[in-house]
Amino acid sequence: MIDRRTLLKTGAAALTATLASRTAFAQNGGDINVGVVLPLTGASAQFGINSRNGLELAVDRLNSSGGIKSMGGARIKLIVADATSAPTAAATAAQRLISQNEVVAVIGAYVSSLTLAVSEVLERRGIPLLTISYADQLTERGFKNVFRINPKASALGRAQVDACIDISADSGRKLERVAIVYEDTAYGTSQSAGLRAACKEKNLSIVMDEAYPQGITDVTPLINKLRAADAQVLFPVSYLNDTLQIVRSMRQQQVQVPVVGGAGGFILPEFGQSLGEFAEGVLSVNSSNYDLDPESAKLYRDRYNYPMVHDAIEHAALIEILAQTLEKTKSSAASDLRAAMTETRFEGGWINGMPGGAIDFDETGHNTLAVPIIIQWKGGEQATVWPKQFEKVSPTWTN
Amino acid sequence: MMVSFIQALLDGLMVGGVYAVISIGLTLVFGIMGIVNFAQAEFLMIGMFVAYFLWSVLGLDPLVGSFVAFAVVGALGYVLQRTIIKRVLKAPAVAQVFLTVGLLIVLENGALLAFGSQLRSVSVSYQTLSWKLGPFFISVPYLAAFAMSVLSGLALWLFLNRSWFGWAMRSTAQDPMAAQLIGINTDRLRAIAFGVGVGLTAFGGAVVLPYLSVFPTIGGQFIVLMFTVAVLGGLGSVAGAVVGGLAVGVITSVSALFLPVQLQNLVLFLVFIAVLAFRPDGLIGSAR
Repeated sequence: MIDRRTLLKTGAAALTATLASRTAFAQNGGDINVGVVLPLTGASAQFGINSRNGLELAVDRLNSSGGIKSMGGARIKLIVADATSAPTAAATAAQRLISQNEVVAVIGAYVSSLTLAVSEVLERRGIPLLTISYADQLTERGFKNVFRINPKASALGRAQVDACIDISADSGRKLERVAIVYEDTAYGTSQSAGLRAACKEKNLSIVMDEAYPQGITDVTPLINKLRAADAQVLFPVSYLNDTLQIVRSMRQQQVQVPVVGGAGGFILPEFGQSLGEFAEGVLSVNSSNYDLDPESAKLYRDRYNYPMVHDAIEHAALIEILAQTLEKTKSSAASDLRAAMTETRFEGGWINGMPGGAIDFDETGHNTLAVPIIIQWKGGEQATVWPKQFEKVSPTWTN
Repeated sequence: MMVSFIQALLDGLMVGGVYAVISIGLTLVFGIMGIVNFAQAEFLMIGMFVAYFLWSVLGLDPLVGSFVAFAVVGALGYVLQRTIIKRVLKAPAVAQVFLTVGLLIVLENGALLAFGSQLRSVSVSYQTLSWKLGPFFISVPYLAAFAMSVLSGLALWLFLNRSWFGWAMRSTAQDPMAAQLIGINTDRLRAIAFGVGVGLTAFGGAVVLPYLSVFPTIGGQFIVLMFTVAVLGGLGSVAGAVVGGLAVGVITSVSALFLPVQLQNLVLFLVFIAVLAFRPDGLIGSAR
């Protein structure tokens, strides 16, 4: 259930998005404004809220432990704007944060298609964008102001395939026929491209390859096709609403194919809550997981009474990067920040939750140390099961 | 091939039944008041929330909760009609559009404020069940939603054709002046019609809860669909909404057999355009 605080915040964000930026003018001399553009309403709102919680936890702890020491204890102040589900709205929100709030950097916007829109604005203004979005093209357009800590979507797709081959081989099966379904926005499209490429490399035959619109309300045609396809594994790249429909519909129609999700809805606690026993055994690729850094995860769970999902972990890590950068540059000029971010190797603090253990951006803003992992739903929790060096519980292959 | 065709046909008819019920409200409101209610899909969302909370607080099955959703949203609709919709009945169409679109925004954001934006989903025992009929799978939640839709459609038909209210409502639609002259309180009847119209949509929202999740912006996923159904069948005609709903369900389901799922709306709108080109009043002509 939702507590009153989240309720008020969400509502306020929804209704007063335009007013919010004005009140932010009342800043103290020592505040460093950081813009946040996240989907707080619409189909992807849950991800946005989890992300914002991670940011707020990290910022509160930073500020209460003395802020940015090299800048006289300056405090980071988050200015949050709702990206909704529309790229144009996300871009407008970013524009407003820059012109009205003089933000030194922007964090966002979770959904790849929104992040792409925001990145265009920031590139023009020369302000750094820190993001966890997966779409490959974010760091492949020659932009100088995008910094992404997560693996690319194509790398996630590759990990899904590699993990499946490993895990099914452990239980004595040889993987030959796979099915791919994906939502047709930037995230689903680029991650499925990674899946497709990886399947070709490993000589797996793709017996089904279907895109569907994100707001789908009837997945039965999709599941009918899946049954006819006779695949050995299903790779869905979906957000939450579609994910629940797909898994339920599969159970209904008795399609017993192991599911290896492409992050998105498969790694939300609501997935486990809504599906109960039907969630058990479902695998998904992920970019971090709360069992990798239990200490931080406990801080989060104590405050929000909710698991520290990857969105929260990674956004907390973004604050860590920003704080370490500011500590080093002693200035909030965009060009200084950008240079320091490219040069520094970040580690410690909230970054401990990232599988790579550290973050090192290359020229394009891609984190060269990013590693995808695979989680499996076990007893209502997500356990890291792949690759071997991060394994907390050994994976099971149910078929 | 034949098996998958019949399967797709069955699935399409089942979802189509639900599409029909949620769109009947839209067509009813237009038929009786001449108002195009852009906020109609928001009442679907409210109906889903009513059923969701009945389930989460009282443990009531959404199929039972759907009757409560009908009553609650129907009452809300009655009040809304008497307080605000009534004022634009004789106003220019632009004012009517502004009002109902405004209502849409208020209801959606009100729900965001009250419930937060996260997804909520019920869990009921039959949610992941299906019956096997020879080579065919009949999804239990789909069948349940379809059965409830047929039930409510029949109830509405009886109400409109066999009750005094229905008779008075139809006369109000046909000739408000004459209806008033023979002693029908047309003001009150319009409010009842609006209540029944949005109540039915809410009812439809509640019966799909076992297989869909609810969140404040879900109306956006249905609004285009509802207008397609209503206009395809003939805006203002209840029978048209039924035919339109079934047609939309079957077209989207069957087209997925030979085209990518992503393109199901393409086929739907090609058919839609063709119907409007050859029969501008919809498949079943308008009641007005």
